[in-house]
Amino acid sequence: MRPGRRRWLARAGALGAVGLLSACASLTASQTRALLAQPPSDLPARVEWTQVPFFPQELNQCGPAALATALGAVGVPIAPEVLGTAVFVPAREGSLQIEMLAAPRRHGHIATRIRPDLVSLLREVAAGQAPVVLLNLGLSIQPLWHYAVVVGYDLPAGEILLRSGTVQREVMPLSTFEHTWSRSSQWAFVVLPPDRLPAQADEAAVTEARIAFERVAPAPQAALAYRTAWQRWPDSLLLGLGLGNALYAAGELPEAEAAYARVAQRHDSAPAWHNLARVRLERHDLAGAHTAAEAAVRRAQVETTWREAADVVWREVQQARQGAASRPKP
Amino acid sequence: MTVNRKLISWIVAAALCHTAGLQAAHAGMIATESVASTTELVQVESRRAHVLATLNRADVTDALVNKGVDMDAARARIASLSDQEVVSLADQLDNAPAGASGVLGAIVFIFLLLLLTDILGFTKVYPFTRSIR
Repeated sequence: MRPGRRRWLARAGALGAVGLLSACASLTASQTRALLAQPPSDLPARVEWTQVPFFPQELNQCGPAALATALGAVGVPIAPEVLGTAVFVPAREGSLQIEMLAAPRRHGHIATRIRPDLVSLLREVAAGQAPVVLLNLGLSIQPLWHYAVVVGYDLPAGEILLRSGTVQREVMPLSTFEHTWSRSSQWAFVVLPPDRLPAQADEAAVTEARIAFERVAPAPQAALAYRTAWQRWPDSLLLGLGLGNALYAAGELPEAEAAYARVAQRHDSAPAWHNLARVRLERHDLAGAHTAAEAAVRRAQVETTWREAADVVWREVQQARQGAASRPKP
Repeated sequence: MTVNRKLISWIVAAALCHTAGLQAAHAGMIATESVASTTELVQVESRRAHVLATLNRADVTDALVNKGVDMDAARARIASLSDQEVVSLADQLDNAPAGASGVLGAIVFIFLLLLLTDILGFTKVYPFTRSIR
């Protein structure tokens, strides 16, 4: 063999080996491998929540069954048939993710998306939650979408435990779980009452879920949800403003005023100043309302979205003050 | 000239409707949802979505009814969504993943492919397979 040709063969061989290796890398469940090789020391090796209820699914009803399981886990007894009318889309023969997140709101609970990685998911389970996961049990070219609920795991055995379909205790290898979960971009959520927070969710996901909850929840429940989250993220404008709005809607005006005042001062935010002015006006604190309305108008020069609202409240405050001044003193 | 004037009056009317929609919440209070849509927490695209949503809840309810959902149930379902979610739902009703896990109408090739990937542990389609590890 001529040296030139040998060199060419060696090159081709090397190229092939690299190709094969990279193919293997994409086929191995990298998170599972890393997790099993070096499990985080604060993560229990084995967890199983046997008390989580089981609802064997009817045909295509894995969404309602998974929701009933997750709600049952937090003490809300509700049949999958009832949830079916809240999430099932007959023409799609399935349930959409958005509606899966919305349904618990109608039962006084909040569904919050959790961080999309395997360790975070297992941490939620270790913290006592039963997360709902979206899996693609098939392949991207031939998808088989499926909702299941994680009720435990066993790291030494490399397994995850699910309430899934018609199987009460499905034992799935963690690597298979990772493959099927990755195909849904690792989509998962936990269902919790308004006074509890997920162990791992981040501020954006928690805030988004609570704002959506405020729309349908009774005002005191919405206030509870915001207060719980605001304690964890005291620098959040939206959580503080949401607490103010929920308290205001609940008719607790002094508490609402306190929340608005705190947010307004901390963030110097036009909507917060505006709402503070309104609640003070309603409480006949005209001097306080004046100060807040002034700040709202000043901030609205920058936050131009609120210019009109700030001008309106400013005019109302001035009218109220003139009215008070022209009234004869007793 | 009259055409122009008509056009302008329409635009003004539309703009007025839109601001009214955005700011009418709890007796003059600025709603949390409206503020959220102006912060960086929510992407720019959803700001547009927010505007659309205030106009289109009824349309999305109809879309859900067309997919076989009962009218009353559809109304309640749409009412429980945030503005942003309403628009996403309208977008996704036709092609987003819908958890189903029904009977697989697969041809022989797909059947064999999925059987193989099941055994290798990449998929979990068939209840009778156990993956090799």
